[in-house]
Amino acid sequence: MVIVMRILSMSGFVPEQICDTIRFTGYLGRHSISHYCDYASDYISQILEDDSIDGAVYPKSCDSCRVITSYLENSGKFLHQIRVPAREDEGAAAYFAASIRAYQTELEKYFQIEIPEASIRERADMIAERNRRVRLKYDSLLEGASYFSYLSQIHRMLQQPLAEQEVEAPPPEKRARGIPIYLIGSFVGDLAVIGKMEEIGLKIVGDNITESKRLFSVKELDGRGDIYGQIARSILGNSLSPTQDDFSTVLARDMEEIRERGAKGVVFLIQKYCEAYDYLYYIYKRELDRLGIPVLRLSVSGTVNMQVRALALETFADMLQG
Amino acid sequence: MNMEMTIAQLQAKLLREYYKGFSKFAKGKQPERKIAWVTSFAPVEILSALDIDYYYPESYAAVIAASGQEQALLKEAGRVGLSADCCAYSCCFEGSVSLEKGPRGVPPKPDILIASNNQCNTLPGWWNILAQRYDVPLIVTDYPGEGGNEEETRHYVKWQHERLIAQLEQLTERRMDRERLNRALDQSQISVKAWENVLQYMPDREAGGINLFDAMSYLILARCREETAVLYQKMAEELSCAAPANRESIQLFWLGYPLWYHPDRILSEVLDGCRVCGANYVSWWNLDYSGEDIFERLFRAYNYTFLNLKGSTRTEKLTELLQASRAQGVITLHNKSCKCDFVSARNIGLPQAELEIDMVDRTFLDVEGAKRKVQLLKQTICTG
Repeated sequence: MVIVMRILSMSGFVPEQICDTIRFTGYLGRHSISHYCDYASDYISQILEDDSIDGAVYPKSCDSCRVITSYLENSGKFLHQIRVPAREDEGAAAYFAASIRAYQTELEKYFQIEIPEASIRERADMIAERNRRVRLKYDSLLEGASYFSYLSQIHRMLQQPLAEQEVEAPPPEKRARGIPIYLIGSFVGDLAVIGKMEEIGLKIVGDNITESKRLFSVKELDGRGDIYGQIARSILGNSLSPTQDDFSTVLARDMEEIRERGAKGVVFLIQKYCEAYDYLYYIYKRELDRLGIPVLRLSVSGTVNMQVRALALETFADMLQG
Repeated sequence: MNMEMTIAQLQAKLLREYYKGFSKFAKGKQPERKIAWVTSFAPVEILSALDIDYYYPESYAAVIAASGQEQALLKEAGRVGLSADCCAYSCCFEGSVSLEKGPRGVPPKPDILIASNNQCNTLPGWWNILAQRYDVPLIVTDYPGEGGNEEETRHYVKWQHERLIAQLEQLTERRMDRERLNRALDQSQISVKAWENVLQYMPDREAGGINLFDAMSYLILARCREETAVLYQKMAEELSCAAPANRESIQLFWLGYPLWYHPDRILSEVLDGCRVCGANYVSWWNLDYSGEDIFERLFRAYNYTFLNLKGSTRTEKLTELLQASRAQGVITLHNKSCKCDFVSARNIGLPQAELEIDMVDRTFLDVEGAKRKVQLLKQTICTG
């Protein structure tokens, strides 16, 4: 489907199968809310300030998200809070399926369009193919591909309609060398942090972040029941977000990959005032300490400047080099 | 027999029974019943019907702050790696369990952890770290709240309640007596009605020795206990005979959390010439337990908590409370620990003083700044 409306989406829980949205990557906005996630407040700013945006779709999966409507209610734009369950089981999938159907209905009503099932199925196939290609690129990180190039490409890709999303090979000169590390966090709004890591010799060999692992680990449709149930199971079956309230599983899967990929350290990127990741970090730290794997907690916020982050990263790299 | 007891005796009884298992009093004795730690909007009637004892870490964090011990425990939470940006209830409690210290010791260790997201999404995260610490099962009940398709939501919530009951039956190795659960829900409803009756006196009567923020805690800790309803009936009787409120002073509505560390729970030192004639926090646990069967009753009570309502419904409810209080102005609290309550104060049509606070961490408040803002509010009201 060609984009007929420009809807800014936040979160991997927004079903790409229904229609194209522009994934929010970052915006330097004027809307500032005290003690509130910068990423969410920048998202609010873009909806309010950017006239090219027709609407917003966001989940209710964290404390910042759940009150977004209150800040946007007078925007005059299409607003939809997608109801994402905080669990992954059968009852949750049934509920999420209904929620996806409601999202489609609201889109159709508001924009006076029709979204046929054939289009949804076609998009699901395209998503599966794209994710396979992203997965291959992810695996090439082990062979030295630059994570900065990989992630930059994903960010560019997510701004495009699904049909135009291409996964290119990273340029050969952008191959990273250095100490293998693993990256955890939510959406990386500021790619400069990643660039800095590579510059000082930290080579990211794996991650659990929203736009990488959690993007390509969305499962293919299983063919059981109606299309909405299939999409719901597909999204809920991906690599878990901490907002799904199952830290044990997140921890176990990540620890396995950290070992498999030979990471010598972990960088945990936390958006300032993102409590889900702050709590997750707390148990990660304990587990990594137990395993003797160093971890750096790096706050990403407009209030912490790049120099401070760079210094923390350099100290961490020195420590890993021992 | 409960009817013959005084307010003080009923309060003492409820508190004694709640705290008897805490380490300071239990002295190493093993609990006889299964123990759950729950969030404050968890469906505790189910636990009560299965004879599971339950404890509220959030409430205990408030007690810690009220006893003046929160700073050392917040510091300990930071030392063990919990970010100070997290909810201060969780930091304070984590400090307490890390050091095994608190005004009443620590609650008995849980056999199970039960969290819900009908007030915020922070609590399930906090409960996850408790689950790691104690290595016990965690059940998170997902309440989607108002909005969306109600039938789908009802079905989803019922499905979860059925599973919750099944998991707790397995834990306790006994079958749930549904009639007993129904009676527990009845009792909670009676407690809510009795508390609503107490609150109706807030605009017009001096509360005397009754601090409504503290008095409300029984509705959290013991809402399905008969004594709670009796306590509130007696409080309402006392208030009905209390002196009329001084309506000559400036009538202000307290919008947000109580300051648990403050002896008055409000910032009384900046409220000279003012009277707090209403508050929204004290009505948060006024849950609606109506419905034809247990699952409908649980759904209505726990899916539609105040912080789980749409913004427009919250504003409507708030407007009703404000009108009933006949407030002239509002002290609106932006609580560092509760983003969900940040925006409650929109479109209410009254002058406000907006204060940045934390309900547990006393160091967060700029008292001089608050004084200036309240002074400005008073001037606006008096000249308006």
